[in-house]
Amino acid sequence: MKVELRNLTKIFPSRNKKSSEEVVAVNDFTFTVPDGKLIGLLGPSGCGKSTTLYMISGLQKPTSGQIFFGDDDVTELSPENRGIGLVFQNYALYPHMTVKQNILFPLQNLKGADRMSKEAMIERAYYVASLVQIDELMERKPSELSGGQQQRVAIARALVKMPKVLLLDEPLSNLDARLRLQTREEIRRIQKETGITTIFVTHDQEEAMSISDMIVVMKLGVVQQIGHPQEVYNNPTNLFVAKFLGTPPINVLSGEVRGEKLYISDDAVLDVPGVDDRSVFVGIRPEGFIVDENGALKCELSNIEVMGRDVSIVSKHPASLNPIIRSIINADQSVSGTSTVRYSLKSNKVFLFDTDTEERIYFGDQAKNEEN
Amino acid sequence: MANQATMHEKDLQKVTSSQRVVSILVKTLLYAFLSLMALIVVFPFYWMIISSLKSITEYRLPIPTLFPKEIIWHNYIEAFSAANLDRLFLNTVYVGVVSTLLSLVITVLCAFAFARLEFKGKNALFAALLGTMMIPGELFTITNFITVNNFGWIDTYTVLIVPFLVSIFYIYLLRQNFLQIPNELYLAAKVDGTSDLKYLWKVMIPLSLPTLISITILKMMGAWNSYVWPRLVTTSEEMRLITNGLRDAFTDMSGQANVPVQMAAVAIVSFPLFLVFLFLRKYIMKGVSRSGIKG
Amino acid sequence: MDDNKKTGGWFTEAVLNTFFKEWVWNTFCVKWFWKSFCVNLVYKKFDKWKAWIYLVPAIVLLLVFTVWPIINTVRIAFLDGYSILGEVGGETYSFGISNFLDVLDEYSGFGEALKNTLWLTFITVPLSTILALIIAVCLNSIKPLQKFLQTIFFLPYVTNSIAIGMVFEAMFNIVGLGTSDPSFGIINNILGVFGLDPINWININSSYWANMAVMIIYIVWNALPFKILILLGGLQSVNKQYYDAAKIDSTPRIRVFTRITVPLLSPMIAYVVITGFIGGFKEYSSIVGIFGDDMQAVGTEHTLNTMVGYIYDALGNNEGRASAAALILFAIIFVVTMINLRVSKKKTHY
Repeated sequence: MKVELRNLTKIFPSRNKKSSEEVVAVNDFTFTVPDGKLIGLLGPSGCGKSTTLYMISGLQKPTSGQIFFGDDDVTELSPENRGIGLVFQNYALYPHMTVKQNILFPLQNLKGADRMSKEAMIERAYYVASLVQIDELMERKPSELSGGQQQRVAIARALVKMPKVLLLDEPLSNLDARLRLQTREEIRRIQKETGITTIFVTHDQEEAMSISDMIVVMKLGVVQQIGHPQEVYNNPTNLFVAKFLGTPPINVLSGEVRGEKLYISDDAVLDVPGVDDRSVFVGIRPEGFIVDENGALKCELSNIEVMGRDVSIVSKHPASLNPIIRSIINADQSVSGTSTVRYSLKSNKVFLFDTDTEERIYFGDQAKNEEN
Repeated sequence: MANQATMHEKDLQKVTSSQRVVSILVKTLLYAFLSLMALIVVFPFYWMIISSLKSITEYRLPIPTLFPKEIIWHNYIEAFSAANLDRLFLNTVYVGVVSTLLSLVITVLCAFAFARLEFKGKNALFAALLGTMMIPGELFTITNFITVNNFGWIDTYTVLIVPFLVSIFYIYLLRQNFLQIPNELYLAAKVDGTSDLKYLWKVMIPLSLPTLISITILKMMGAWNSYVWPRLVTTSEEMRLITNGLRDAFTDMSGQANVPVQMAAVAIVSFPLFLVFLFLRKYIMKGVSRSGIKG
Repeated sequence: MDDNKKTGGWFTEAVLNTFFKEWVWNTFCVKWFWKSFCVNLVYKKFDKWKAWIYLVPAIVLLLVFTVWPIINTVRIAFLDGYSILGEVGGETYSFGISNFLDVLDEYSGFGEALKNTLWLTFITVPLSTILALIIAVCLNSIKPLQKFLQTIFFLPYVTNSIAIGMVFEAMFNIVGLGTSDPSFGIINNILGVFGLDPINWININSSYWANMAVMIIYIVWNALPFKILILLGGLQSVNKQYYDAAKIDSTPRIRVFTRITVPLLSPMIAYVVITGFIGGFKEYSSIVGIFGDDMQAVGTEHTLNTMVGYIYDALGNNEGRASAAALILFAIIFVVTMINLRVSKKKTHY
């Protein structure tokens, strides 16, 4: 089922009665989720991603704009009539019911023609339970389950009505690091097996990047960029997106363009064909550095961290906006010298941003990459 | 050096042993005091039970016996008829059960609205309700007495049940409990198409069962112990509640009263309370520790 | 006339046209319109009113039996010489304060009721609080039997105050006073073991303070369980580390009690004292339990009536005076509670 959001806007009246300030949680969001894809809504807290999810679920009504499931306008439909499944951040399992009762609960609410026989309900419950691999736990209470198991039960409960759209609110945030890796693969597998259009919300970019078919990056209610994770990573449209994606995070320095050359503290570090003279923010991905004795970018070396396959070099530069510059290089590249390190840069890992709007300034053939 | 060390150890031993003596002494005193107080607390109950089993002659002995020489069960039968206890017992159970059930329904609905639904003026209304808890009940009793007179309710079961169905304290107690249930459960139920009433019945009520039990017990105890209101609004003996019957049947202060029968009646009235206490102590203590309101 | 008919005809036609052609067409043919129409009309509107449906039973009862009484009681308290019978008979009353003057009149018995109530409250509240505090602290510092003793101490809470009042009456009663062979009652017998003379607690010609003593003992006995429960609960929630720290500094027990336990417990103590005062001013049924409805020991001159008793006495014949007395009681409770809150705010350490 295709999900289409048209000019979706949500404005909350101000909490404080005295001020008439309104909070625009989601601002003019237009986007089509293709059928059968896994979409990650990504952004820092308060960016409106959860509000968007709740509007899709029907628990919150948009201030303006429309939501379509397939060709049907569902904007005014109540949640139960939309054919969705929703998994909450804290799972919202009914603590006094067993796993089985929890999974059966949505089915027991069906009315009229949708009503199922008792046997069919149980069969369905066991089917989704086996799908998420919890069929062994059906008689237990939620309090007797681990966090990961509770998560699976919550997903099973959301899936049991065979929804057309599955919504997940921060599905992994209540799990510990190891379970998180496991569970995200699990979510991917379940999504692929069922082929349900799935939208999930997260603040963890790694999580979103690793399993989504597409990610939507949001900030303060405004969509920043939509695209395939790798594409967004390689071609961020603005400084916010560039900073938000990637671990370790992108290094940002202030620089200047003079005669189609990029200068960082008077060192010409890169050719930037087609860019007018101006001052810029320079974003360099950690993997965009090459240790080079003749490199133009000279940094003060402060630490070298060997992490197996890779080496992470921590250095300092006066033009850097962050306290440190972190680069990642292959372990076989050796760093000579003790107090300084020189880098040359990979041009496809360097992004320029306008200092006022923080919008991306393209140079060379970067604009072409965009289309790929 | 070695000598000093042993000296030190000896000193330490002395200190610890003297400390031990003190602590044993303190412990003994503690237990002695607590036992004495416990004895004082329990004594009236003990006296009630043994007196209720004595013959009147034995009860009037100048030097009282601490255990009846001859157990007279007949006192209990006599108590039942003397105070019309069977009729009053049924009255009280009827009033208690009906008012508890109705009160639970009203309280649950009201607490649910205050805890989960959104409507204009919710907080102001709730604050106003809590404010009325400061006013002593006697102030209400006067006008309520006039009101039920005007309604023509005097001497009916209605008058014993209806005026006290809504307790703001119970609403408050249950609302607090409802608020502890995460809102996501409500949203999840909504996504599943659960109606509010079904959600209330299937999720919220099971999850706040302990509080509901506390309320039930306190309400039942309230009916069992109510004295003033039934005396005001009933004119015939048959409509009164058990406590009224108890007090009215034994008003002879001349010292010639048949105390064992009287004690038997008191024991009959107290017995159900003991049973409740024995089995449901946990819930009572939980409810009470949040209230400060008796019965 | 004709015009009217015409307009009427036009109107019907318009309705038929618009409603049946447009609306019905739309509703049956365009599914989504029907759905959104229903949702808008029923779901959204209903949502607004739904909460009130849940509240209706409670609100109706509260209006009749809580809100109206507040208004009406104030009203009739200020109507001169009000009585229901008079009002039913069509009498009208003028506003005035004569009810309050009646209450304060020295023959109305209010002064005595006030005096009794004040004595009882100001003696029983500190007494029961201190005793409960000591018992709670002792209970908290023992391990074996703690649960058992806690249960025992809670026992008096679950009682019928009239019924147990009658037990106290029996325990203090002298059977056959003035005869050659009286039974002095179990309390006097116990006193006799310690070589004390029997006291005339509640019988003919018993003294005011003997009666008061019996009431005080009973009220304290009755008030202990609630106070112990609250204070023990408070003690058990105090962080044990404070006591460990005090132990390391070898602080003497008394100092631990006055400097650590009491301050940390001060919110609970304040709560217990405030509820104790409120309960004390409303004391009534425990006295009925011992002395009966007359609120007087047989064969004595002094009344043991309390303020609540005074209100109920007045209720039978003079509702105006009862209301005035109830308002005075409320004022007293209000003032004392405010003072308590003020003091406890200064003294509590949170």
